[in-house]
Amino acid sequence: MARAAVQVGPSPVGGRRAADVPRRIRVLAGAAAAALAVFFGAVWMVAGEARDGLRVIGHDAGPQVVATAGLYLALSDMDGQVALALLAGEERGERRRAALARYERRRGEAGQALLRASALAGGDAAERRTVQAVLDGLGRYERLAARALLLDEQAPPGDAPAAALAVYRDAADLMREELLPQAYNLTLESGTIVRRTHDETRVALFLGRWGMAAAAVAALGCLVALQVFLARRFRRLIGPALLLATVVTAVYACAGIAALGGAAETLTRAKRDGFDAVLSLARARAMSNDMHGDQTRYLLDRERADTYEHTYLNAAQSVYYVEAGNLRQYHQGVARATPAERRPGFLGDVLARRPSGAEPLAAYGGFQRADARMRALAEERRGEAVALRLGALEKAYDDYDARLADAARRYVAVFEGAVREGEDALRDVTFPLPIAVIAAAALLVGGVGPRLGEYR
Amino acid sequence: MRARLAAVLAAALLAAAACSGGGEPEDGPTAGGGSILGKETLVVGVRPDLPGIGFRRPDGTFEGYDVEVARYLAAKLGAKPRYVPALAADRETLLLQGRADLILATFSVTQERKKRVAFAGPYHISYQDILVRSDEKRIRGVRDLAGRGICAVTGSNAAERVVEERGVAARLVPARDYAGCLDLLKERRIDAITTNDVILAGLARREGGLRLLNARFNEQRTGVGMRKGDLAGCEALNRAITEMYQDGTAARLLRRWFGGSGLDLRSVHVPRFEGCG
Repeated sequence: MARAAVQVGPSPVGGRRAADVPRRIRVLAGAAAAALAVFFGAVWMVAGEARDGLRVIGHDAGPQVVATAGLYLALSDMDGQVALALLAGEERGERRRAALARYERRRGEAGQALLRASALAGGDAAERRTVQAVLDGLGRYERLAARALLLDEQAPPGDAPAAALAVYRDAADLMREELLPQAYNLTLESGTIVRRTHDETRVALFLGRWGMAAAAVAALGCLVALQVFLARRFRRLIGPALLLATVVTAVYACAGIAALGGAAETLTRAKRDGFDAVLSLARARAMSNDMHGDQTRYLLDRERADTYEHTYLNAAQSVYYVEAGNLRQYHQGVARATPAERRPGFLGDVLARRPSGAEPLAAYGGFQRADARMRALAEERRGEAVALRLGALEKAYDDYDARLADAARRYVAVFEGAVREGEDALRDVTFPLPIAVIAAAALLVGGVGPRLGEYR
Repeated sequence: MRARLAAVLAAALLAAAACSGGGEPEDGPTAGGGSILGKETLVVGVRPDLPGIGFRRPDGTFEGYDVEVARYLAAKLGAKPRYVPALAADRETLLLQGRADLILATFSVTQERKKRVAFAGPYHISYQDILVRSDEKRIRGVRDLAGRGICAVTGSNAAERVVEERGVAARLVPARDYAGCLDLLKERRIDAITTNDVILAGLARREGGLRLLNARFNEQRTGVGMRKGDLAGCEALNRAITEMYQDGTAARLLRRWFGGSGLDLRSVHVPRFEGCG
């Protein structure tokens, strides 16, 4: 090496003075090191962004949708069961006890869902206030419901007495006007967080990948320039260490950019193919449970039957839209609709034209047919209408709801799978990062050091 | 963190991005002029013809519940509102032709309208209700309107809904506007006016001798009309509406404009949102 320095080093090739050579090697090597540092720094930051995005979507807002949708269902069904217990009355004691047992179960579920929602709300002040307001309201609701049931028990057998109905009406208003909207908005807010995080992370990943590419090109350019300079200066064809450093950088850059591109894709897949459907189905289940409660309330509270029929129609239109001025026209429209049509509404959105959508849509049709039969009986033959509500209609609803829950579980699996895949892709990028940094640094020093040594 | 990263990268990449031309398609937030976010002035369509809700004063300025809600929401978005009159029939056109950014004009959310425009909120749930003379004892709900004369205002379908949706055989008496209805009611040529409860509350407050039934039959979800596609703007409005209820502004405004009208204001709560997606 020392001989090489004596022979080769000082021999003028480019007509420059020998003292310039180590300086130029240092400048080129320094530039290569800086570009590599920027490149690896960019990889680290971009991967961090992607990881943050996946964490928010996969482990924060995503589960929050499930928790708050569970809260809505539990609350809505609590009120539905109180109405059912009042409707069943003493003469259908078994049904009444079953409804009350389910009410207790739902109350427990609502409490758990509130705890989860509260934990997931984290530092968001507005969300925490909402959770707190629901918690406070729930206590008031339980007191009203207990009083309505007590008044009903104390009355002579027969239809629910006016006093019990009046208290139940206050309970139902509290639930439907105050608690349920807040629970529903919590679910929507999680949807907002997912959408924002998705869009921002996509933009960050897009910019970040360009940044990585530019830094990689700069680093590779410096490494090649260094190689060329050394080859001409020292009459060597290649320096193996620098060549290896170039290869390591190039391979890592290509793999990293591709993997982060893949992470961006999985992020979008998690949102578009998984989360959006989970959210729509959660909203469909929430609205459908309200509708089912409205069917009970329609029979229970004849004075407000028109109001409950109208809220039923409104909710039904948001679940599965059919142009209709009144509920009879809606029933007819649903009977005519085919699963192949794409229709506005949560169900039409997710399920239409998908093979997995035919069953829930058919079950929804069955639910609507049972509803039409119940309402046809309600005016003249109320006893039969109540029997239908407790029998065939109950079964039609349970069947429909079970199919919605099945479909939702499938999309949750898609969502969780995509999030996992994205996280795996990120690990593939970040795990070899320290090795790549150390290797590139060692090879750079190994390639340049001996040449500089020749000048000492 | 994200903003800083974006700024650093954007600066570092200016050259690279400039050479590279277009990138891959991004479904990011609405770009540029599309969104209501970032505008200094928001043009808001409000009713010029409904006392208490949206009403044009003789000097050309607007007052009412919708007007103040619009002012609150615009302020939360960091903008100033500029009001333009929006009659019932003009509401969609104003939005679609870009002559208004937002519509707060008793604009109820329907699936039919959602095909053409988007809705933030609703910011208020009202109900179709019934206004009668104070001495009227026999009308207690919508069913009692059978055989009675009710006012059918041009351009409003509220009276038709009683007949068609509810199947109640009321007698429809046409009128040009709600002032005309009031005259008919006082002259005993009709027995009731039925429409949105806030409209009736506004009328009841202006005229004495009338009673609101609080019959609450058709739920009307009054939303903020906006152009489709502005998800970020819609979500920001929903957050602002949530705040409006949480900080007590909604209750205060409702009491200011409808207190003492017979409208039940005992419990004021944020409505279930329609959702922006």
